[in-house]
Amino acid sequence: MIRRPVPPWLFWLLAIGGVAALLGAYEIVSVRATGINPLQTTIPSFEKLGEGFKQIFRAQGLPENPKPPMFWVDIPATLWRLVIGMTAGVTASIVVGVLMGAYRWIEAPLSPVVMFLSKIPPIAMMPIYLALVGIDQKMFTSMVAMGIFFSMTQSIYQAVRQDVSDEAINKAYTLGASELEIIYEVIWKQILPKIIDSIRLQIGPAMGFLLAAEMVVGNAGLGYQIRMQSRSLNMSVIFVYLVILGFIGLIAEWGLATLRRKLCPWYVD
Amino acid sequence: MSEFALEVKSLSHVFGAYQVLDNINLQVLPGQIVAVVGPSGCGKSTLLKAILGTHPPTQGEIITDGIPVSGPNRNVGIVYQNYALYDFLTAEKNVSFGLKLDETSLSMRLFAPRKYFARRRVHFERSRDFLHQVGLADACGKYPKEMSGGMKQRVAVAQAFIMRPKIVLLDEPFGALDEAMREDLQIMLLRFYQENLIAKREGRRPEYTILMVTHELNEAIYVADRVIGLSRFHTQGDRGATIVYDRPCPVFSPDDPRDFSKFVEQREELRKAVFDENDLKDRNKNVTFWKELGSLANSVAAIK
Repeated sequence: MIRRPVPPWLFWLLAIGGVAALLGAYEIVSVRATGINPLQTTIPSFEKLGEGFKQIFRAQGLPENPKPPMFWVDIPATLWRLVIGMTAGVTASIVVGVLMGAYRWIEAPLSPVVMFLSKIPPIAMMPIYLALVGIDQKMFTSMVAMGIFFSMTQSIYQAVRQDVSDEAINKAYTLGASELEIIYEVIWKQILPKIIDSIRLQIGPAMGFLLAAEMVVGNAGLGYQIRMQSRSLNMSVIFVYLVILGFIGLIAEWGLATLRRKLCPWYVD
Repeated sequence: MSEFALEVKSLSHVFGAYQVLDNINLQVLPGQIVAVVGPSGCGKSTLLKAILGTHPPTQGEIITDGIPVSGPNRNVGIVYQNYALYDFLTAEKNVSFGLKLDETSLSMRLFAPRKYFARRRVHFERSRDFLHQVGLADACGKYPKEMSGGMKQRVAVAQAFIMRPKIVLLDEPFGALDEAMREDLQIMLLRFYQENLIAKREGRRPEYTILMVTHELNEAIYVADRVIGLSRFHTQGDRGATIVYDRPCPVFSPDDPRDFSKFVEQREELRKAVFDENDLKDRNKNVTFWKELGSLANSVAAIK
């Protein structure tokens, strides 16, 4: 039967089973690949993955001239670029999206432009950023910010149009609100949970754009390191990095969901 | 302060080639509860939106308390059928939302937080008092999503009236509620009317002036002290709906039995004058409110 309830113990058992099955399947594939070629590094065993994990925390470079471990070079570089880029993109799209939802004369000229540009895959626009802003931090920032800007602007503007009724706005006028007060006290507060949710949804794509850019022009960062290690088929490091990316995504998701619950206790999805 | 809470002067409204409203003239005194009835599509909502200021009329003028209406403003309150409460505010904060807009500002919140919070405390107190008055003492901390339709509508009523606007428009306020809720809320409006009477007796300006659109004739006559019928059925040509019925109606006290048989005759008269397509007559035949005002005064005196 569709949607038949499952007792909680069974649900958890199945959840753990799912993870176990994934790990088990990986192990089987790894053992078989090692059977064929004992020196293979494409599907490393768990033991080798452990070594990879240790390797990313080991100092790089020559013993007489050590350099910081990969982890402490790549993770801060990538996260910093992500945070700066997303802050810029989110801020800009909130401003433009809210104004588009609030004023028809702003919506009219911008909505076709935003709608069209949001359909162009941001990675395809990379050459433009490369040409316009170069290959330093600005390039990553603009890649992430512009990558999420158009689709996020569109979703914020839709949220304003759909979630804030004309009645709510007219009523605010009858209660003595100015336009600025309506934007802050009515529109902003009503769509705040939608904004947090769309930030949450944009982290994945933003990470994608950033890694793509790092693979092309970076000298540090997760994307750069993954490309470097893949050249030498050093999958034990790559797999560890992928797991780290997964955890970064989970933590960000959990953090934003908690933030939304804290800021918008009224919101039920 | 003007003698009238609301004045509508020769208002007409045209949609394209279709004349919706034709030469509507209406004056409402402070403290009146006026019900507006009429066949569906006759322009009741258009009239309401014109008074609210969101849809300005093509001709004519609307004046609240001596000031012409040019857009939705502080003088005219509104209660919608769909409540239109702010989801992100609790009942108490919804009711005190207007007070916040009126008496505080963002700069006050940032630079004089103590003053700000002191004011807000007073607002919450007033808002709780009002919620108590409409029978929602227990729901102050609830969000709209946690309340029933009847509760939400009470909050919406409190939200509008706490601002003491010159007039409050109720747009089919109880249309979405079940019968028991409807009765409770009608009685709540009758309580407001009683307070108006007390205010008048004490020489104060009554606080609750209401223009209520409804499709329920019984509700109109039971709650209001004056019923207005809008209709296109009149002999002065097919020139849009206008007021074809404007008469006082019996005033009930909240404790009176809800006895609709008391006004069967008026209900029939209203039905014929406003809803009967075949009963075409001079549009002014039943517009006799101001002539009858003397007798209304007597009926008010009788209640005292």
